[in-house]
Amino acid sequence: MFFNLIVRNSKRSRKENGLFFSSLVISIVAFYIILSISNQDIMRFLQEMESDAVDKLLLLIPIFYIVTLCILFFLIYFACKYQLQRRKHEFGVYLMLGMRRGKLFSMLMAEDFISSIFALVIGLPIAIILSEMISLITAKLVGMGIIGHRFTLSLSAVLFTILGFLVIKLFAFLILSGNITRQEIGSLMAPISNNAQRQKPTFIYVFSAIFGIAMLVAAYLLAIQGIAWQKSSMMLLTLSLGILGTILLFYGMRALISLLIAVGKSNVPLRVFNFRQIQENVVQQSTSLAISSMLILAALCCFGAGIGIANTSSKLNAHILDYTFAVSTNIVLDKEPEPELVFPSVQSLLKENGLEDQFAKLFQIREGRINTTEKTDEVFVLDSVIDEISRLPQSKDRDVLLNNLGYAGFPHVICLSDYNNLLELAGEPTLELASDEAAIYRDSSSTNEVRNAMLNEILAKHPKAELDGKTIFLTGEVQSIPLVTDSSITLDIALIVPDEQFFYYTQGNYNVYVNGILDQNITNEMGLMGAYSTINEVLDMIDLDALGLEYESYLQSMGRQLFYMVAASYITSYLAIIFLVVSNTIIGVQFLMNQQRTGRRYQTLVRLGATYHALCGSARKQITWFMGLPVIVAAISSLFGVKSLFAGILSSEVKNAQGEMLVIAAIIILILCVVECIYMTVIKRSSDRYLLTLMQPQREE
Amino acid sequence: MEPILNIENLTKVYGNVPNQTRALNGITFQVMPGEFLGIMGSSGSGKSTLLNCIATVIQPSSGSIVMGGKDLASLNGKSLANYRGKNIGYLFQNFELLDNLTGSENILLPTSLHNVSEKESRLRLKQLAEYLEITDVLNKFPMQMSGGQRQRVATARALILHPKMILADEPTGALDSKNAKNVMEKLSGLNRDDQATILMVTHDSNAASFCKRILFIQDGIIFHELRRGDESQREFYERILKVMAQLGGGSYNVL
Repeated sequence: MFFNLIVRNSKRSRKENGLFFSSLVISIVAFYIILSISNQDIMRFLQEMESDAVDKLLLLIPIFYIVTLCILFFLIYFACKYQLQRRKHEFGVYLMLGMRRGKLFSMLMAEDFISSIFALVIGLPIAIILSEMISLITAKLVGMGIIGHRFTLSLSAVLFTILGFLVIKLFAFLILSGNITRQEIGSLMAPISNNAQRQKPTFIYVFSAIFGIAMLVAAYLLAIQGIAWQKSSMMLLTLSLGILGTILLFYGMRALISLLIAVGKSNVPLRVFNFRQIQENVVQQSTSLAISSMLILAALCCFGAGIGIANTSSKLNAHILDYTFAVSTNIVLDKEPEPELVFPSVQSLLKENGLEDQFAKLFQIREGRINTTEKTDEVFVLDSVIDEISRLPQSKDRDVLLNNLGYAGFPHVICLSDYNNLLELAGEPTLELASDEAAIYRDSSSTNEVRNAMLNEILAKHPKAELDGKTIFLTGEVQSIPLVTDSSITLDIALIVPDEQFFYYTQGNYNVYVNGILDQNITNEMGLMGAYSTINEVLDMIDLDALGLEYESYLQSMGRQLFYMVAASYITSYLAIIFLVVSNTIIGVQFLMNQQRTGRRYQTLVRLGATYHALCGSARKQITWFMGLPVIVAAISSLFGVKSLFAGILSSEVKNAQGEMLVIAAIIILILCVVECIYMTVIKRSSDRYLLTLMQPQREE
Repeated sequence: MEPILNIENLTKVYGNVPNQTRALNGITFQVMPGEFLGIMGSSGSGKSTLLNCIATVIQPSSGSIVMGGKDLASLNGKSLANYRGKNIGYLFQNFELLDNLTGSENILLPTSLHNVSEKESRLRLKQLAEYLEITDVLNKFPMQMSGGQRQRVATARALILHPKMILADEPTGALDSKNAKNVMEKLSGLNRDDQATILMVTHDSNAASFCKRILFIQDGIIFHELRRGDESQREFYERILKVMAQLGGGSYNVL
């Protein structure tokens, strides 16, 4: 009997508060996915290549887990609180009928436990399937057919999901049901008072609203001018100003809504009623609205940062080369092979191991130091260029460029014909240099577009410079095509010189990097990843060290990029989803609970001749406003927040890409709109359903 | 003169076959324009059911209610909502003012529901507020008003759209005697000066003594009728008390 009561009550709770229940399911799914991240195909693959970075990421997971637990605790606490408050009268009746408090307490706990089990039973299979799907899709997207999908059920993830979920539910419920069962029967049976909050004089709200807006503006300014990122104390100040400002703004919002009621005189049905309802909701829940708004802001910032990071890392290096072979770095000095012999030895190595056909093209990149002089400084003098740059208007980029050029006294030189090979492969026009001409090479990681543009402007004038006492003219644009496939060499500043000059300046003492391009047929057939993996397998079998060689493939570079993309998008979208779900559920549940608490008003409206249609329209309008307010405040704040975030954490390249910023902003807004629309529709539907029950008259005697 | 409300053989049955309750068991009466009709009966006699049927809050099991030549059973959807809003003004025992709206906002609520221009209604609001002496509470919230003021605000809300008839369900039930008297005086004043038609359900003999005619209901049927002739309100009140004594727990029932 008692058990039946529990089962029935818990079923009713789930039905009445479906929104909350589905949020629980979503959070279980999110829990499992983040906890099982190490089991994803792509993560297993990356772990082999970038194990340090992946390990660091995996170390962060428990922190995210705990942070989410705290946020979810608030959600559960809020939602359960309203649910229990609504049933207060029922609990009073149980106690009147002679139920012991201990029994009531255990009944509440048992009801909640059943709901939790339901949420887990529904959520976990969805989570496991979704996690598998994400794993498969990401693997497919990056062409990782070779690794082979493995169905994995992370038992520890399941365990921790269940554990974390049950612990926070238990904790929230212990506090709440403890509170309920301690109350006197009289106060339990008393109807919930609607106007618990006393009105304070209007000027307090006006003042609070103005002060809140002022604080927000101050926070925006601090954020957007980059002051917030200078010191941690400034960051703290900005954040506290923002948080306090939002809370004050929502506290004072009733004054703004009063203004709206007074100003408008349009003949929209139930207009005054709608605004009064919204006002009451905002008044009663100003703090939780402010918190929800800030959670939405956090979600927006997460989305923005995630997309930004993923975007930058995805285009760090254009993919031209597949393989680079070079003389091993840990070779003993006197055993170093002659530079001319490196290329043939790589060729024969590939031939011997049957890899010759895999490569469509094999060519060398030769670069070296100036060996015609004993000096190691002021070999390259480019005073005229430096002079011109210092005449440009002062900017951070100019100073960085000047500083860079200050270290260019002893540059590397690159062989022109080799570099032209690269240009051809990249589909760009080749360079033509006279014997007294040179082009400037800068690695893409050590410069940016603005600095290159400054330099290009000066190079267009063919400035004069001196290389080991000889006059040369600098020409062309700044070159930055990667010389090797990954990271065996990065040159901050180098000179590209004609072959003859190259051999003269290096005196035959240079380094050779042999680059290989894979055959199109092979990559088409096996996929890029597949081709790399098979060739790497063969190469790893050979004792390259004995031959004094080493190799790197684009796979490493790709792995690194992939890692940043995957890590950034996983973590940020995980946090963003949690934030969005929690904030929207809090707002939605609050609205619905409040609607049910003030259900009598709607019944009065029915008596006064309101149609069902009119009631739904009124409630829908209230929902749009009630949910829209925190979203709008968050959206405005996010304009500054995301911009500041970009300035603070992203590399300089993104800062200059204004157009891309707009695209990112548009994507974020679109995502937010979709999520909010879904939530609003869900809440409007359940409000309609509730209002329909009010249309059936109840017999009251 | 045509009756404004014509009720024919009205029945309402609650529940299913083995344990049915016949709340109304064939009630027939008419209300003429400008009449102030009281309906009295003890708890459970069916008077609230009757009022709810007229207010279209519940549907009768059989019989007909014709208001101004229109059968209420033929109404649905929008016409039903219009009927509720424009043909009847409803007064509740516990006022049912929306506590987050000010007095004037509460009174103007029906105009907003039925797309009546607020400007037109402002004049009516002013007249009603003056007559009902609530001008100084129009900008207050219900929580800040006394019980009598609340019921008078509710009265103004019921009257704002010029309804054909006022249905009052125990309008004095939640008021002290002084406020109850005041509200009843206002209602009978409206009946006398404006020819407002009022149908009031009550079990308060004092309030009923303001009516011109009283129907007594017991066990779902009309059991007695009183008309106030030329007698004073005091004498009418005595007559009501006598009938009430017979109705509830009096010798008539016991023996």
